[in-house]
Amino acid sequence: MKLWNQRFQLDRLLDDRPGSAARNWMISGAFWMFVGVTLGLLLAIFLAAPDFLGGHRYLEFGRIRPLHVNTVWYGFLSMTLLGAGLHYVPQLCRTTLYSERIANLAMWIWNISQVAGMICVITGYTSAHEYAEYPIPVDVTGLFALLLVIYVTYRTIDQRKEPLLYVSIWYYAGALLWFLTSWAFLGGTGQRYGVYDAVWTWFYGHQVFGLWVTPLAIGVTYYIVPREAKRPLFSHSLSLIGFWMLVTTYAPVGAHHLLQAPIPSWEKVIAIVQSVMLLIPVYVFLTNIWVTMRGRIGRIEESLALRFVVAGTIWYWVVSTQGTLEALISVQRLTHFTNFVVGHSHNGLLGFAGFIAAGAIYDVLPQVTGHPIYSARLANFQYWLMLIGQTGFFFILTIAGLIQGSAWLNGESVYRVLVELHIYMIWRAWVGTFIVMGAYVQFYNVVMTVRGARPQREEYEPVIGYADQELLAAQGLPAGNGYAAQTGISKP
Amino acid sequence: MKMQMTDKVFAIGSWLIFVTAGFAVAVFPAFQLIRIPPSDIARRRTPLEERGRQVFIQNGCTYCHSQYIRPQDWDHGAVRVSQAGDYVYDSPQLLGSERTGPDLSQEGGVRSDDWHLAHFMNPRFTRPASEMPQFVFLSHSATERFILKGGLIRDAKGAVADDEVTALIAYIQSLGGKMADARMKRLDVWRKAMQKAYLRGEDKNFAYIQTLVPEPWRRLPNPYPPTPAALQRGRFIYYQECVGCHGNFGDGNGPAAKYLFPKPANFSALRRIGASGGLLYYQIMNGITGTAMMSFKRDLESAKIWDVSNYIAVNFIGHSDGDTAPHGVDESQEPVDPNAPGPPDPDTINTPPPTSPALQPDQNAIWRHRRPTRGFPTYRTKKALAAPGGAVGHAPYYPPKGVKRR
Repeated sequence: MKLWNQRFQLDRLLDDRPGSAARNWMISGAFWMFVGVTLGLLLAIFLAAPDFLGGHRYLEFGRIRPLHVNTVWYGFLSMTLLGAGLHYVPQLCRTTLYSERIANLAMWIWNISQVAGMICVITGYTSAHEYAEYPIPVDVTGLFALLLVIYVTYRTIDQRKEPLLYVSIWYYAGALLWFLTSWAFLGGTGQRYGVYDAVWTWFYGHQVFGLWVTPLAIGVTYYIVPREAKRPLFSHSLSLIGFWMLVTTYAPVGAHHLLQAPIPSWEKVIAIVQSVMLLIPVYVFLTNIWVTMRGRIGRIEESLALRFVVAGTIWYWVVSTQGTLEALISVQRLTHFTNFVVGHSHNGLLGFAGFIAAGAIYDVLPQVTGHPIYSARLANFQYWLMLIGQTGFFFILTIAGLIQGSAWLNGESVYRVLVELHIYMIWRAWVGTFIVMGAYVQFYNVVMTVRGARPQREEYEPVIGYADQELLAAQGLPAGNGYAAQTGISKP
Repeated sequence: MKMQMTDKVFAIGSWLIFVTAGFAVAVFPAFQLIRIPPSDIARRRTPLEERGRQVFIQNGCTYCHSQYIRPQDWDHGAVRVSQAGDYVYDSPQLLGSERTGPDLSQEGGVRSDDWHLAHFMNPRFTRPASEMPQFVFLSHSATERFILKGGLIRDAKGAVADDEVTALIAYIQSLGGKMADARMKRLDVWRKAMQKAYLRGEDKNFAYIQTLVPEPWRRLPNPYPPTPAALQRGRFIYYQECVGCHGNFGDGNGPAAKYLFPKPANFSALRRIGASGGLLYYQIMNGITGTAMMSFKRDLESAKIWDVSNYIAVNFIGHSDGDTAPHGVDESQEPVDPNAPGPPDPDTINTPPPTSPALQPDQNAIWRHRRPTRGFPTYRTKKALAAPGGAVGHAPYYPPKGVKRR
């Protein structure tokens, strides 16, 4: 009896059923978004009304801010996008995940490290490196989870039945290795001093966005768009160019966070040149996706996932173009240190990766649970909430940033400009509530979907499995799961 | 394009590219960057300051306060563009990525300890428009008692209140290294004099402080007429900058006052001895070093200081000398005063009025205005810094004559 109980517990904790790992990673992601945006709203209120909650040690702005940032990128985005990968990698390889158990174990470890990191930061144990505030023991725990994911992913790729690897897999499996390296090195190379530490911090800091969240989100985009738009991918060559250029150009751009800091000029030159070169992989990827979408934009009305993902690609265009401009010395003179940069990072992590992660949830969750999305109406509502919120953020923070930058260049002190910014901080908190409501709606929808709650009314035809098989067959394309075949096609 | 993307090709290929790039921009610079010598102002922190730095890190201060001055900055602290050698003792680095509050890299010795204490208890006490959180949880009442007895919060003799805010203030006052130390010394001298003067009573204190203002300023009336519009602008400035210490009624009983020693000035007491517009202007502009009265010349442009001087004079002192004799040039936009004498006849004036000796150009001060060294310092500057006078003097951040830097 006791043994049976133990078996039962183990099965609940480390589920072995196919699809359970992807599902659990994505539920965790939705939960961390719920937490992350709540913290973000708290921060926005603090900026508008700094005496809110009356100065409590553990509710202090500087302690909550790293929590917000890390919960969003480490909790929400990483877990959701990794969960999507744990679904599409085996599927595109026409096999099953190597081990659901190990992936589920990694899920628990990742969640534990996230909780432990939050506790550490809020009680003052922080490494003070931006995007890497969690102290080294937490890093080691997270790295262990990442190693497990890498193991499962590469064993899955190893046992594939589809010889061709689709572009999503390159990005997904590549990102795992790149991020493992920079993450392990940040914690593992000992204490660094002065500006060398700054160079390292931003080398790592930019990988979090450029070679972790971005490739994971691009992988999801390549996975969802051709299928939901019912079109083969436009070009294999563009996929190749985009992939190789991304890793070549993104790795050395970190120093563009330090253009006016006393670091060697050659570092700055490399960072600026590479930041401009970044336009190539970005525009190549967008061309590939948008040309694939050509004539099929109407599909976003039928597919929830596609709606989020297409919005995400548009934000990717905004954030990347903006990012390249910001890396130019003449622009950064104005924008550095201001809210312009805060708006930029929200465009990236919420507009681009956040929208695509939401799309991944609505695409993958029905497939791995077998349940239709609980409420398409709510998901649609969430789409508009997030879109209004993110657009508002973009404009409000950009305007606030330009005001700050212009005033500073004109000789006004930082303190004097605060008075002019106050109204934007109020707007920001107000617009932020849209994003927060969107995240709450998403979490509710995810929980109800996983529980298999019946939709209130028939409003959405769930896509379970592959809808494009017949379409491909009708076009005379090779059979298979559709993706590997597409990688050999340069024109639809 | 034909390229067979097997797992080995994309995994190993892209990883090698990544590692190469990472080596080039993050590992390789170590050979250059770890050999940077300490700059002329860098120094090691004391244990108390190091503890304060931990408090600074734990509370995430670095998310709103950067710690480097850029060539284009004008704000508080922008007296010296930061150099790589300033940071050789910093680990982890706290350069920062946002400037919601002012840059702190040169903050040490700029404001008095009691100003910082009041500011940490609630930043709105000293800076009414601030967005900074309260840090009342860093303190316990011992600090308050200590301050009220008129001592320094952190004292080399060991009379240090053992709480986080004390350590934090010590750290803030160490920012700027040796430059901050020199300023702290100056602050200490002035603080002692100001506290002594304060304890002699209000009128004597005011009289003493007025002697610190150069004589031409004391004679100078406010050149701006106190028109209703000017007073309105002055009121805006007063409530943005001054009200936290001097209070709604200008009586020196703002919310910050209980943390400050000497206490903020009670303007109405100035009715007895009077204060010219120029005197108010000078003290707002330069502050009263050693007390919590900070200098406002980086926050406020000239016209704004004159307007707030008029506001203080009219509302709290009861009388403004704005636009009284000597008139000089009647500014063309101001209301016309029918009694103003107007310009004298040019034929009656043949020689310029005598210039005060204080206004003669100081030939010896020329070297201070030399351009600072541009570019990234290498380890070679160590020699230049080690040269006689290379790292000391009134303005230690510019090399004196005869010392060459590469």
